[in-house]
Amino acid sequence: MNVAAATQKIGLDVPVMVAFGCIIVILLAGSLYSPEFLSLDYLLQQLQVGAFLGIIASGAMMVILLGHIDLSIPWTVTLGAMMATALGGWIGPAGVWLAIPFGVLCGAFIGVLNGLGVAYLRLPSMIFTLGMNAVVQGLMVLHTGGFAPQDHATDAMHFLAVKRSILGIPNALFVWLFVGLIVIFLLRRTAFGRAVYAIGNRESVAYLSGINTNAVLIGCFAFCGACAAFAGVLLAGYSTKAYQAMGDPYLLPAIAAVVLGGTNILGGRGNYLGTIAGVILITLLQSILSVMQMPEAGRQVIYGSVIIGMLLLYGRGARTRS
Amino acid sequence: MTERTPLLELKGVSKRYGGIAALTDVDFKAYSGEIHAVLGENGAGKSTLIKIASGVTDASEGEVLVNGTPFRFRSPTDAMRAGVVCVFQELSLLPDMTVADNLSMAGTPTRGGFIDQKAQRARAVELLKRVGCEDVHPLELVKNLPLSRRQMVEIAKALAKKPKLLILDEATSALTAKDVERIYLIIRELREEGVGILYVSHRMHEIEELADVATVFRNGRKIETFKKGARSVNEIIQMMIGREVTHHYPPKPPFDDSRQPALTVSNLSWGHDLNGISFTAGKGEIVGLGGLDGQGQRELLLALFGVLKGVEGTVSVDGRSLQLSGPRSAMTAPLPLALIPEDRKVEGLMLPMSVRDNLTLASLQQLRSGLGIDTERETAAVNEMVARMQIKAPDTSAAVGTLSGGNQQKVVLAKWLMTDPGIILLNDPTRGIDVGTKQEIYRLLRNLAAEGKTIVFYSTDYAELIGCCDKVLILYGGRITRELKGEDCTEHNIVAGALNVNPVPEKAA
Repeated sequence: MNVAAATQKIGLDVPVMVAFGCIIVILLAGSLYSPEFLSLDYLLQQLQVGAFLGIIASGAMMVILLGHIDLSIPWTVTLGAMMATALGGWIGPAGVWLAIPFGVLCGAFIGVLNGLGVAYLRLPSMIFTLGMNAVVQGLMVLHTGGFAPQDHATDAMHFLAVKRSILGIPNALFVWLFVGLIVIFLLRRTAFGRAVYAIGNRESVAYLSGINTNAVLIGCFAFCGACAAFAGVLLAGYSTKAYQAMGDPYLLPAIAAVVLGGTNILGGRGNYLGTIAGVILITLLQSILSVMQMPEAGRQVIYGSVIIGMLLLYGRGARTRS
Repeated sequence: MTERTPLLELKGVSKRYGGIAALTDVDFKAYSGEIHAVLGENGAGKSTLIKIASGVTDASEGEVLVNGTPFRFRSPTDAMRAGVVCVFQELSLLPDMTVADNLSMAGTPTRGGFIDQKAQRARAVELLKRVGCEDVHPLELVKNLPLSRRQMVEIAKALAKKPKLLILDEATSALTAKDVERIYLIIRELREEGVGILYVSHRMHEIEELADVATVFRNGRKIETFKKGARSVNEIIQMMIGREVTHHYPPKPPFDDSRQPALTVSNLSWGHDLNGISFTAGKGEIVGLGGLDGQGQRELLLALFGVLKGVEGTVSVDGRSLQLSGPRSAMTAPLPLALIPEDRKVEGLMLPMSVRDNLTLASLQQLRSGLGIDTERETAAVNEMVARMQIKAPDTSAAVGTLSGGNQQKVVLAKWLMTDPGIILLNDPTRGIDVGTKQEIYRLLRNLAAEGKTIVFYSTDYAELIGCCDKVLILYGGRITRELKGEDCTEHNIVAGALNVNPVPEKAA
């Protein structure tokens, strides 16, 4: 009972333990292939790459907990990167640090639009955000066509994404930690977090309890947009420039990471520890598949299968709900 | 006549939902060529009887016989095959399809695997003629028809299945007088053809006019089956009420007409459901809402809480006018409002979440400190409320869905008491919970009233209104048709008012 209560308190429920179990299995399996997989250097390298996905998944989780989904993530990532790098060109040296909050704000703005559509127009988030993704894509093509805006990352972006300032730990990992702590605080300690879970379980109950459900919806979509754009800014720093479609490979892994971590795809249940496990699991899976020289097509097949498999395991909580 | 084999017979049928008995040991026979009226108060077991007869649910115990042979309906389709067809209260038509498509939903005529449009249309025309709806075009979309026409199409759809036993559940409640006449005619024609008819209605005069035989239900038991004219209207009402006293209510203070008004409603209207409702509820008063199910009671409570859009009329709380813009503004009124909703599973609770999270959901604003929630204060408040309401849960972190119905309802009540409301609106709070918890709730309401809180209380159980309320408002068709104060709150007055049959209120003996 006491052990159960303690594990419950930190959010170590069955799906999370399964996810961590899978991580260990993958590492052990990898070490049979090459002992390199258990070296500290390799693991830190994976965590650094995983940090970008982790930041995107943090935002995606907030939206999924509501019972919604944000499919505008890919081009919001690209938007964040492009806006941030472009600002450096527009305002000169002052943009070195300002570029980062500017990129994030642009992403949050897209998120607010998503939230307005879902909350007030009551359109299904799947359709609305898919449309928004296409709109942002168009805008970004327009942005880069003919004007040749600056697309090089500023030093600040490079610093956050690539450098290792303390004890050889990548700075990107601290950024993920920072975003993660915000999410944990929001979900566990604030009225906003309670409202997120409440809406994911039963929006009508939340509304009848006096919660401003529309504000919560908009807040979560804005947060998701901001996270995606922030990750875009860092990715630009990591690869030194912003480029078209740089966010495309992140949609499926981000949603997969959240779901693998035990968050109910229909909303209302899930904790951040699970998302951390999901992100690490996906990152390792990607890494090992590429080390094993699995072609891209095969990787996609494996991703999709893993997500469907996990949904079969946990995603059917809806049946036991009533 | 009783020598004949009944078309449908129920033998010792019982039905329980969870721990609650909806139907207990019922024997019931329906013969062909006979119109059989089924009577009873809300919750007497009529709907359950119909659901079992038409295969929507299974009986927990007992036998269902069709033409003398035991038959187990696993689905409405099974029942239809046996010739039992039901026209339900809730319309079952698909609004975005044509009348002809709807009428041929089961048994679509086909030619070479494709729908035979011509045959389907001809069939629709014939069926519509049968129910006197020649003015309805078969290719019209159902959603474009007025409600009364839709109800007629619904009946035509049932006739398409060539029923041996036709069940009509409140089939005339949406109809105009002309259509009702038409329905009577069809029903009598069907009787001549040897079809058996089960007819559920709350309108006494309809039953007098139509029925050959009537059966009265009360509290899930069959009380009596009698032939037309064997019983007077008064006797029937008496049978529906019964004489058993099953609950004990806390003592009421004498009726006091000089209370300070807490809630004043004037001329409240909303669509067709609320028509110019005006009343006053005083501080420390329990006001009951009575009447048949679905006469606007729920809408009234929702309107007061600001949930309905486009409500006309004014509401003032403690002398100041209340904006009906949403729960938030109702909860911040001078005397804060609280609404205990009807369906605790959909509107009251988040079943997979913990007792604690459910309890504090409505009062999170009060528990705030800085950016976050003051968890120590939260824990203290939750523990205090669990103790005060005697909520039996293994742990405050247990999921609410694991508690019994009574304890779930206590959680809903406790959740709203934590907001310290001045006016409490309750929408049928004792439905489906055990007797012990019911009595705790009655005591709680009386104590809250004694503290000066105002309570507006809708119940489908008349006895509860009499036992608990200082004043009862009877609603009929979205209007307050009668206001019973203090000693006038008797079963006879409430039932007669609800059925709208006896315009002179009986004085209590």
